[in-house]
Amino acid sequence: MNAPATVLETQNLAKSFRSAGREFELFKSLNLSVKSGETLAIVGKSGAGKSTLLSLLAGLDVPTSGSISLDGQRLDTLDDATRAKLRSEQIAFIFQSFHLLPELDAQANVALPLEIRNEPNAMQKAADWLIRVGLGERLDHTPSQLSGGEQQRVAIARAFAGEPKVLFADEPTGNLDEETGNQIVDQLFAFNEQQGTTLILITHDPELAARCQRRILLVNGTLEER
Amino acid sequence: MNPVVMKLAQRQLWAQLRTVEWRALLLATWLAITLTTFLSLLSDRLEQGLLRESASVLGADLVLRSSRPLDEQRILDAQQAGLETTQVIQFPTMVGAGENLVLSSARIVTAPYPLRGEIVTEPTQGTAVPPPGETWVEPRILEQLQIDVGDQIQFGYVDLTVTARMLTSPDRGSGFRSLSPHVLVNKADLEQSGVLAPGSRAQFRLLMAGDADLITAFEAELQPKLEQYERVLSLTSDQPVTGNALGNGMSYLRLSALTALLLSALTIMLALRRFSNGQQGRSALLMSMGLQPREVVRLYLCQLLIAALVIGAAGTLSGVIFERIADYWISDLLPQALPSANWWSYLSGAALGFAMLILLGLPPTLEQARVPVAQLLRGEDIGTQTSSGRSLYALSLALLGATILLFLQAPLAAFLLLLALGICGILFGWVAQQLLHWIAKPLAKQMTLGRLLKIRLSQQRRWHRLQSAVVVLLLTLLSVVWVSRQDLLQEWQSQFPDDVPNYFVINIQDWQKPGLDEFLEQRQIETDLYPMIRGRLTELNDAPIRPQLNEEQLKDGALRRELNLTWRDTMPEHNQLLSGQWWDADSSEPQISIERDMLEDLGLKLGDKLGFDVGGQPVSGTITSIREVQWESFRPNFYVIFSRQALENYPGTWITSFKLAEDERTAATDMLREFPSLTLIDIDQLLEQLAGWLQRLADSSAMVLGLTLACGLILIAVTLLQALEQRRFEAALLQTLGSTSKQTQRLDLLEFALLGAVCGALAAASAEVVLAALHYNLLRVDVRLHPELWFSLPPLAVMLFVGIGFALRTPLRIEQCYHILRSKT
Repeated sequence: MNAPATVLETQNLAKSFRSAGREFELFKSLNLSVKSGETLAIVGKSGAGKSTLLSLLAGLDVPTSGSISLDGQRLDTLDDATRAKLRSEQIAFIFQSFHLLPELDAQANVALPLEIRNEPNAMQKAADWLIRVGLGERLDHTPSQLSGGEQQRVAIARAFAGEPKVLFADEPTGNLDEETGNQIVDQLFAFNEQQGTTLILITHDPELAARCQRRILLVNGTLEER
Repeated sequence: MNPVVMKLAQRQLWAQLRTVEWRALLLATWLAITLTTFLSLLSDRLEQGLLRESASVLGADLVLRSSRPLDEQRILDAQQAGLETTQVIQFPTMVGAGENLVLSSARIVTAPYPLRGEIVTEPTQGTAVPPPGETWVEPRILEQLQIDVGDQIQFGYVDLTVTARMLTSPDRGSGFRSLSPHVLVNKADLEQSGVLAPGSRAQFRLLMAGDADLITAFEAELQPKLEQYERVLSLTSDQPVTGNALGNGMSYLRLSALTALLLSALTIMLALRRFSNGQQGRSALLMSMGLQPREVVRLYLCQLLIAALVIGAAGTLSGVIFERIADYWISDLLPQALPSANWWSYLSGAALGFAMLILLGLPPTLEQARVPVAQLLRGEDIGTQTSSGRSLYALSLALLGATILLFLQAPLAAFLLLLALGICGILFGWVAQQLLHWIAKPLAKQMTLGRLLKIRLSQQRRWHRLQSAVVVLLLTLLSVVWVSRQDLLQEWQSQFPDDVPNYFVINIQDWQKPGLDEFLEQRQIETDLYPMIRGRLTELNDAPIRPQLNEEQLKDGALRRELNLTWRDTMPEHNQLLSGQWWDADSSEPQISIERDMLEDLGLKLGDKLGFDVGGQPVSGTITSIREVQWESFRPNFYVIFSRQALENYPGTWITSFKLAEDERTAATDMLREFPSLTLIDIDQLLEQLAGWLQRLADSSAMVLGLTLACGLILIAVTLLQALEQRRFEAALLQTLGSTSKQTQRLDLLEFALLGAVCGALAAASAEVVLAALHYNLLRVDVRLHPELWFSLPPLAVMLFVGIGFALRTPLRIEQCYHILRSKT
């Protein structure tokens, strides 16, 4: 059996920004390599730059220097349109506050990224995925008619329906109670395994981090593998 | 008040001046105050100058007005009651100089005159009234006759020397009479001028002055004795003259502010709502630090008060400036300068603005005190409005509505207009939204952007309804005023055939008729002279008519004034026989031909016998025919025509009208030179004057409309602002999920363009409907379409939405997206 290929790789990644006339350096030489199907937790204190790192890895931000490659393709040199296309085809997100569009029902919310990339049968796929996350009866419910846990399950369905290579989850249980949070995490990991998706997770929760194959601590602008 | 609160309020206001919602709020309030100040000042001054019979314009303490020569007994009574008296006769007449003629209003006076107030002339004169042989005239007479002080004018059979320009004078009369320029003539010149003959149209006034007690007593004594043709005006009955077109027009002047006030109120409400939602965190923080809830309320009220004071002063100032501009525009159409406005008219705009800010600001301000501190610190959303909050809002809105209706001074009309605006607004909003969805459906099937657009349309539907209602209403209003200004008068004038008479001659005496006939024949002027005898309708079928009529019929104008009667052998060519039969010229039976509307209004029928009082003598005849009369034919028209034998021997004057081509106009001057006592009315001159008025009216309404439009644009900006965060969040999510920033920009563009196109098309359609109604009902001319509206309104509306939308929209860079999503946790 071949060793899994590297799906995401950074070399000498640096990010700094100007504020109040001063240059702040968030990190200056990060090297990270993530293999296909791997689960990885990025942990660190508030303000360490976890979210910025995630933005960079997901192609939502450009580094000051260094490179990022997704599936062998350089992200940092692409133009906006190509990055957007890449994002829509290979990357998905799960957010702490779910971020569903309030005026759309569950099915339309799940179909949204598929429609953005012009995929046929978007609504059918959305329905299939909602059945898989256990919301088959709630297709036409709007977010306000769903509980927090249910909303996050819609978000999970939305993330997996696009069959992404990499799934970024940013504090996915931050707004949920412990029991619901655990159910969500179980479901997330289960689907991840079934689909062979690469999962990159940002969390404060050591228990959640412990469920990942790799844990990386971002501290003082450097990465420490735990 | 706690000094900390005051200081905080000032600082807060200063900092918040930089936010869009406060700028919009202040701008909307400023516009509302400017407009209301402008309109109250203008309407107050116009009303005082033209309509109000007040001390300053009455020229006396008490005035008896009559359409017949004054009864000697009345004058004696007044003098015996210890009152000072003087008499005035006022009538329309042509005055001339060289080739020029002008229709003036002549006032025949004797000293002392006036009894109250004073005549201001230039140069100043040593006598109270012009000495015999002299006249004082208003500046417009000099302008139109192209003469100066020291020159002579022809006044009937006498020439009078103009010795002064009359700048202001009391006792100008009311209504349209006061619009013509005046000439003041000594009574000693009247008889020789021959301009006033028995049967001429004139108003006779007895001016009286004296102690207040004597005046009150005499007025009470006089009132019950008044004849139908007499009316008493006094300081205590200081009422605007009602029932004439000018008075009605004036009372609706303020109504034109309604739309702008409505838009401003909506803007203020939305801006305050957004402001107050944004302030809840701050309020909670202040209260967590120990500020009492009532101090929080004071803080925000204080801030509103400072804003109201500053903006009140600024708005009043700009309102005054606007009024001065309008005054400058209309000054040359008015016979004399308008009196200055009452002090409360200066304050009414600011007061209304104050009421708007405070009444609309109170509910969100009180809400600040109810923000639960702990809940907010836990980062949870503030609960939605409570029911007590909602009822407070309803109460504030009701109070504000009542204030606005009161200000507009025609509460019922304002209410109906408000209702109509509301219904049209809801309808336009709904239709626009349906159209948007109908257009988006096929788009959604074909392109990604179309699907996103569909989502956007359903997300923004509430705002779209409001925005399209406002824009469609405004553009409709704008188009109607624009188109009417351009072509209504033109179309109205062009509908008259070429041979429509452009001169009326009235006050032709019996003895002048043969000479005038000869004059007209010599110049081959085709015309037809009609005798004109005044009489009052008194009997129906040999019994008094009043008891035989119902309440509605009793209100008919034909019963309240003297009618102009005529007699003829043949039916006038421009009339049409509807039923019955025209009489034989030699029939000795007294017969009547009656106009259809009068017959229907009074419930009369063929065969009825009508009795008239003609100068104290009874005259009667039987209705044997019914006619249709074209009132707009510019020919002498009569409700009642008698057969010759019935009326031939009664005293009266003659009337005629004729057409003079442009190169024959000297005939008019010749006629007046030969027959100086005739009253020649130049219809073209009157129409020109009317056109001038309409033009200035349109200019002034354009000013009102401009301010209204500005209110509308600010409201659109505020409504777009309300959804701005939602739009940013949506764009961030779409971009994170794989859209490009170009795509989200195109989505905005598509949304605004579609909204604009739909609004423009709807506005064009509704403007066509309004214009068609105006053409058909008011002008009775053919309805035509206005393609220029269909071409111009949709692009205009698109530009409007795209312009405002993109001015407020800050492009979202991809690296901001994730932060926006994260900040909304």
